[in-house]
Amino acid sequence: MPDVTIDWYIALSSILFVIGALGVLLRRNTIIIFMSVEMMLNSANLAFVAFARHLGDLDGQVLVFFVITVAAAEVAIGLALIVTIFRSKKSINIDDINLMKG
Amino acid sequence: MNAFALAPLILIFPTIGVLFNGLFGRRFVQYNQSIGEKWTGWFASGIALASFAVAVLLFFSLLAHGFETQIVRLFDWFYIPSADFRVPWAIQVDTLSVTMMLVVTGVGSLIHIYAIGYMHGDPNFSRFFTYLNLFLFFMLILVTGNNYLMLFVGWEGVGLCSFLLIGFWFDRVDPNGVPANANAARKAFVTNRVGDFGAILAMILLFWTFGSLEFEPIFEGAVAMFEAGHLVQFGSFSAPLASVLTAVTALFLVGAAGKSAQIPLHVWLPDAMAGPTPVSALIHAATMVTSGIYLIVRSNVLYEIVRESGVQILGIVSSPDLVAYTGAATALVAGLIAFTQFDIKKVLAYSTVSQLGFMVAAAGMGAYVAAMFHLVTHAFFKALLFLGSGSVIHGMEHGHHQHAHAHDHDHAHPKPSPPTEGEKHEMGVVPVPFDPQDMRTMGGLRHRMRTTYVVYMIGALALAGIPPLAGFWSKDEILAHGNEHNLAVYIILTLAAAGTAFYMGRQLKMVFFGAARHEAAEHAHESPPIITIPLIILAALSVVGGLINLPFLSESIAETYHQHAGGIWLALEGWLEHSIAAFQLSEEGIVHLPHTPIVLSPSVAFVSVGLALAGLALAALVVYRQRPRTADEPDPLQRTPIWWFAILPFDTLYMRVIVPLFNRVAEWLAYAVDWAFWHDFVHDRLIRDFFVGFARFSADVLDMQGVDGMVNGSGRLARGLAAIIRLSQTGYARNYALSVFLGTVALLAYFLFMAN
Repeated sequence: MPDVTIDWYIALSSILFVIGALGVLLRRNTIIIFMSVEMMLNSANLAFVAFARHLGDLDGQVLVFFVITVAAAEVAIGLALIVTIFRSKKSINIDDINLMKG
Repeated sequence: MNAFALAPLILIFPTIGVLFNGLFGRRFVQYNQSIGEKWTGWFASGIALASFAVAVLLFFSLLAHGFETQIVRLFDWFYIPSADFRVPWAIQVDTLSVTMMLVVTGVGSLIHIYAIGYMHGDPNFSRFFTYLNLFLFFMLILVTGNNYLMLFVGWEGVGLCSFLLIGFWFDRVDPNGVPANANAARKAFVTNRVGDFGAILAMILLFWTFGSLEFEPIFEGAVAMFEAGHLVQFGSFSAPLASVLTAVTALFLVGAAGKSAQIPLHVWLPDAMAGPTPVSALIHAATMVTSGIYLIVRSNVLYEIVRESGVQILGIVSSPDLVAYTGAATALVAGLIAFTQFDIKKVLAYSTVSQLGFMVAAAGMGAYVAAMFHLVTHAFFKALLFLGSGSVIHGMEHGHHQHAHAHDHDHAHPKPSPPTEGEKHEMGVVPVPFDPQDMRTMGGLRHRMRTTYVVYMIGALALAGIPPLAGFWSKDEILAHGNEHNLAVYIILTLAAAGTAFYMGRQLKMVFFGAARHEAAEHAHESPPIITIPLIILAALSVVGGLINLPFLSESIAETYHQHAGGIWLALEGWLEHSIAAFQLSEEGIVHLPHTPIVLSPSVAFVSVGLALAGLALAALVVYRQRPRTADEPDPLQRTPIWWFAILPFDTLYMRVIVPLFNRVAEWLAYAVDWAFWHDFVHDRLIRDFFVGFARFSADVLDMQGVDGMVNGSGRLARGLAAIIRLSQTGYARNYALSVFLGTVALLAYFLFMAN
């Protein structure tokens, strides 16, 4: 069984980030997009933690706490927005929310 | 306090008079004619007397200060720093200006008082006195100014007052419906403009040459430049000073000819008799018409320099000689025209023109004192004659009314007005409308107007040059100068003097002697004291006026104030010598003034008195010898060649030749030059069409296409860009997300690969 080096973590983090980004770009369901955003944040968290461990520096871990906190607040606002949009549009399909179309 | 500081009062008093009568006089007169007349008339006369008092004060101040010229500077009129050109309002108190002030205010005061009586009953009484005060104001500016521009302000001002007063009864029309008075006023004004044009050009030349318009700098500069042989620069062209001064003095002659009625600009003065008689006496005999002589005497230095230099106009005649010849010709021709006049005032008018000719001739010969002497005595006796003729007219008017309205004695009569059509039939005696100024309707007035007769006789004899009256001394001084310096002028003037005696004799005979030729003359009666008292004062002055320049008169005064080089002392001469700078120049040997103090030359006096007596006697013999009984009978003189002068009058020449020519030129100027060329071509074609075209170009091309195009274009550009850019705004969140990703990738790529 090979050693789990920093490379593995970075690869996993990258894969998670790409999955999340594709989810944001390709999916129609707002909830899913939201979850994809969460996945991207957490992939970044993973990278932070991995580097912190690898470098023996706590700064990365501290930053992860910040990210988690901000993500929690974002989730609260984001979900509230989605609920409100659903109430008016009876839909959470992101393509229906196109008031900004030029 | 220095008494000269009071000099501005002489201008301030008439200003007060103008304001008072101009603003309130009319109300007074409208409120109550007789009370209003008293207030406005006496106020205006008081103003004139107050000015006279100031003039007398200045006279004594000058005596006390040894005749030294004083300049009272009030303030700067304007100052042009770039040219260092300053024109002040300053009063020059010297012996010459004080002489003029005394004449203007003294004779003026008497005429003001006379006018209270003469203008009685005129609805525009206060307007008359406002104008008279205004005239005094401008005349005093004319004589007191210390520079040519102030002189010119007064010059124009008295011209304006002359216009206003000649046309005082501007609404009167003669039986043909012609507004003769208004026309006469306009004629005087326009003729004077011709002279003023000359005066302005002369002033421009003086400014160009000396950079100043004040008398002292000009005269001193002229002497200095003349001695240094200075050339005057006109751009690239230069001229000797004497040539420039020849032009200046000749142009001043044009100005003087306009104002002082010299040939050929004298035509306005006889017509000016349309004004009220006090005006004729004050403005058109005693004061305003003498301002041309004042101008020449004031500019004596310039004339003497020209005389000394020998520069001649076109190589024919030098400008002082031209002045002398103009004056002499005027004196003779106007005197001859006076033979043929029937209007009592027209005779006096031509006589005035003639006497002004004497003065101008004297000034042209360098006999400045003689000119001023004659100016002063002439002011006395010609004012007397005019006022006397006014008294005669007044008496005739009253006689006519008494006769025509025998049942209507208290009829408030208007001043001499041309009778209306109806009045003609009413009278039924004379087939022509009754004219109170026509000497043919007079005759025998010596019985009915005794005071007027006596004073008129004195005035006429003074004018004719009978010793010892004032006119004899002054006229003979001029003749004596002529005899000494210019024989041609002397002969012409002697003939004119003989003519003077003849036409005055003719007038005396027609007016006062013989039998009455009209009912009006039979019923004429003496004028009230307010009219006769000024006449008596003027008559006294006409008798003793000659004393002011008598030789040997007051040796003691002579010793006190002045010792003349020749040992002969003449009062006026010694007085004026201090302000006629040419005298000093001649003592310094810079110019050779053809002037020696001339005691009356016995031979000249003998000839002139003999001719005057002969003229009077001839008139007594010839005129109305057969005692015509009515006004219709022809004047026996009409059968003599003298009558040729009746058609000689310049009026005919003017009406037949100059006026049509002028009209033709004016029409050509108006229609061809002004209308066709200037308006139609220059204004309409060049200026208007260019302007309209330019405006159209501005509006259609510059504004609509240029400015609006820019504004609209920027709008269109914004819309076009927006149409492209808005495509990026799809409204799909993932497109925005993608752009965020791409941006992030781009930034990352930059930092990773480029930043190092």
